[in-house]
Amino acid sequence: MRKALAGLTIAFSSAATLLLFAAVLLFVGVIVFRGWPGLAPGLIFGDTRPLDALLLRRQVFDGLFPAMAGTLALVALTMTLAVPAGLATGIYLAEYARGRGKALLSLLFDILAGLPSIVVGLAGLALTIVLHRLFPGRIGPCLLISALALAFLVLPYLVRSVQLALESVPRTLRLTAPALGADKLTTIRAVLLPACLPEIAGGIILAVGRAIEDTAVIMLTGAVASAGVPRSLLAQYEALPFYIYYISGQYADPEELQRGFAAALLLLAMCVVMLVAAQWLARRGSLRRQP
Amino acid sequence: MSRLSPAERALQLTTVCCGLLVAAMLALMLVLAWPLLHSGQLLSLIGGDWQPAAGRYGIAPMLVASLLLAMVAVLLAVPLSLGTAFAAVALAPPLLRSPLMLGVRLMSGIPTVIYGFAAVFALVPLMRQWIGSGSGFTLLTAALVLAVLIAPTMIVFFVGGLRAVPQSYSLAADALGCRPVDKLLYLLLPQAAPAIAAGIVMGLGRALGDTMIGLMLAGNSAIMPESMLSTGRTLTSHIALVIAADFSSMEFKSIFACGIVLYLLTAALVAILRRALPATARP
Amino acid sequence: MTTTMNGKIRTESLSFSYGERLLLEDISVEFADQAITAITGPSGTGKSTLLTVFNRLWEEIGGGPLHGQVLLRLEGRWQDIHAPEMPVSTLRRRVGMVFQTPNPLPMSLAANLAFPLKLAGIDDKEEIAARSREALRRVHLLAEVEDRLVSDARLLSGGQQQRLCLARALMLRPEVLLLDEPTSSLDPKACAGIEELLLELKESCAIVLVSHYQDQISRIADQVYLLGERTLLRQR
Repeated sequence: MRKALAGLTIAFSSAATLLLFAAVLLFVGVIVFRGWPGLAPGLIFGDTRPLDALLLRRQVFDGLFPAMAGTLALVALTMTLAVPAGLATGIYLAEYARGRGKALLSLLFDILAGLPSIVVGLAGLALTIVLHRLFPGRIGPCLLISALALAFLVLPYLVRSVQLALESVPRTLRLTAPALGADKLTTIRAVLLPACLPEIAGGIILAVGRAIEDTAVIMLTGAVASAGVPRSLLAQYEALPFYIYYISGQYADPEELQRGFAAALLLLAMCVVMLVAAQWLARRGSLRRQP
Repeated sequence: MSRLSPAERALQLTTVCCGLLVAAMLALMLVLAWPLLHSGQLLSLIGGDWQPAAGRYGIAPMLVASLLLAMVAVLLAVPLSLGTAFAAVALAPPLLRSPLMLGVRLMSGIPTVIYGFAAVFALVPLMRQWIGSGSGFTLLTAALVLAVLIAPTMIVFFVGGLRAVPQSYSLAADALGCRPVDKLLYLLLPQAAPAIAAGIVMGLGRALGDTMIGLMLAGNSAIMPESMLSTGRTLTSHIALVIAADFSSMEFKSIFACGIVLYLLTAALVAILRRALPATARP
Repeated sequence: MTTTMNGKIRTESLSFSYGERLLLEDISVEFADQAITAITGPSGTGKSTLLTVFNRLWEEIGGGPLHGQVLLRLEGRWQDIHAPEMPVSTLRRRVGMVFQTPNPLPMSLAANLAFPLKLAGIDDKEEIAARSREALRRVHLLAEVEDRLVSDARLLSGGQQQRLCLARALMLRPEVLLLDEPTSSLDPKACAGIEELLLELKESCAIVLVSHYQDQISRIADQVYLLGERTLLRQR
């Protein structure tokens, strides 16, 4: 009886593992095999000369350039907003907040971490509507609103990585600077944050990966299928994940579909690279921690 | 507490503002959905069907589709994840265990839209053939992909729970000549129950909150689903699809009701999770 | 309690708890200047906690409340270390501390030594260099590390790291040195080196040493107190 249970467990575990990996490899394989041929010189810039496109002298209509530029602008803006807020919040939660205040704040950030991204996008849209009523005709769904909403979406990742890293600094290191007369803020700035740098960098990269791939937030707050390179913070824009979603339902010809697969492959590669980098940094941090 | 310097005040202010924004989101959605809630239609909103032409804005079909899809996905994902976690913790050859976990972590980094995109062209035609009628865009199609999507999240929780046994117990079992599978079944598994429950709740949360898989694969018709083989529209998809409507229409206001429902569901799951697992035990 | 001419630290009716637990109860003692005062006793009685009372470092760790007074003789006058005129950073600059395990900051030797001076607002490069050399000479480390001041401090041996930490504490020319079992993580040779050093250093400051090595105490201590049952008993 015991023996049969052991055998069953091993069979079940092997089957489950193989099935899961086979399923993921199937999906990834489809993207790689059908996307690979599309990685041609014209993929990004189409028929336009790359230099003309980069200098914004000419619009690219049949390439991924506008979507990539949109995603780049979006992620850069998102992180500019999210990193300072995430750092400040993580530092405050780890080093200052105590008791009930801390419990309430971490409950709120746990809720935020669990919220569906479409709900965060919806909140961004709600903000747009309010702003639209205040400044009629000036503000609609746009790059800035998307970045605000995305920053909010990735905030918990940043807060958590900063907070966890700070809270795991060993006590000997933590007391060194105060014993020499440093005040709390100086200790944080000069000793604790430098000691946590790899983990914080890992958290930031994780957040970038999350911001690059998110589709639900941006489809509610300003991403569109055709807008060209983003011209201003208050303009609509194209983005790589939205482009992939759009192509899946709306492709007109095999060429467009091919470009969709190639775009999916590019996005997949970016996210995997980000994840590997984040893992590596986190591991380096925990190794350095050991005495 | 000693007095805070201006810089420390700024840290505090940022934190409190970010925290308040989380609560403000709910308030904002309540305000925007108010005309619907106010008119005493709460019950018909939650329980009714979706007939905008007839002035009926019920979200019941979407609520049912969401719950159905999420639960089936979790049902499919639990055995997959549990088996993989067993392998990663005890059953796979020792040299394979850490590459296995690396694989799982990589899976968790694959963008959702990529899964959706691949499935539209790889899985949907298979489903169409297998069912024999219809488009192949069904709740089951979405559930299969969603199961794969949420598995890494669950595995990380399961593995954390299974590994929580103190090293000395584990060594003691090894010294008694315990095989890995016996150690797993009689030592690791019994004490991992809370973490396994937490992982399932976490997976359910991710499945309920996902937008792209349902939107791209489930067919999106706003009718009460009859089975997993019919098409359906989730709450999240509903928000994404109605967005194009006129900002001042009742139709548009109903998506804020969907947002509120999703917000409250998530908050409830977070509360359950915090009760089940202390913060330190969360991966 | 009578005060002697050469007292440096004094407590009056000092009581200290950690959570529910009362660690120190109604202690009134005086430690001499230019002397090594050893505090010994069974583990878990709060010897290290007592040390952190003198530089108020316990406030960073948690614990308290503290009742009674702790006084420090500065410029010939007894001053309450909790008085508002005495900011905690000033106190800690005049009362240096060395911990049980060496705790070099994750930076170069030179940066470790410069760190306390920069905190105190001293930025002059030449002064920093001069004081670093002086501190390294006093801990007999200068010859060993002179050629690698820019390398990471964590690459030094345990004994060298602890001497570096001592030198770092000396950078601010403290009047009191608190030492929390400073040799417990070192081998016998490094330990003997530190002991010799302390005998030299006591000429310029008051040293309070927590130790549970009886032989070490009999070798170097001028005053010995036993901490047990929440109170300090003078042994020597």
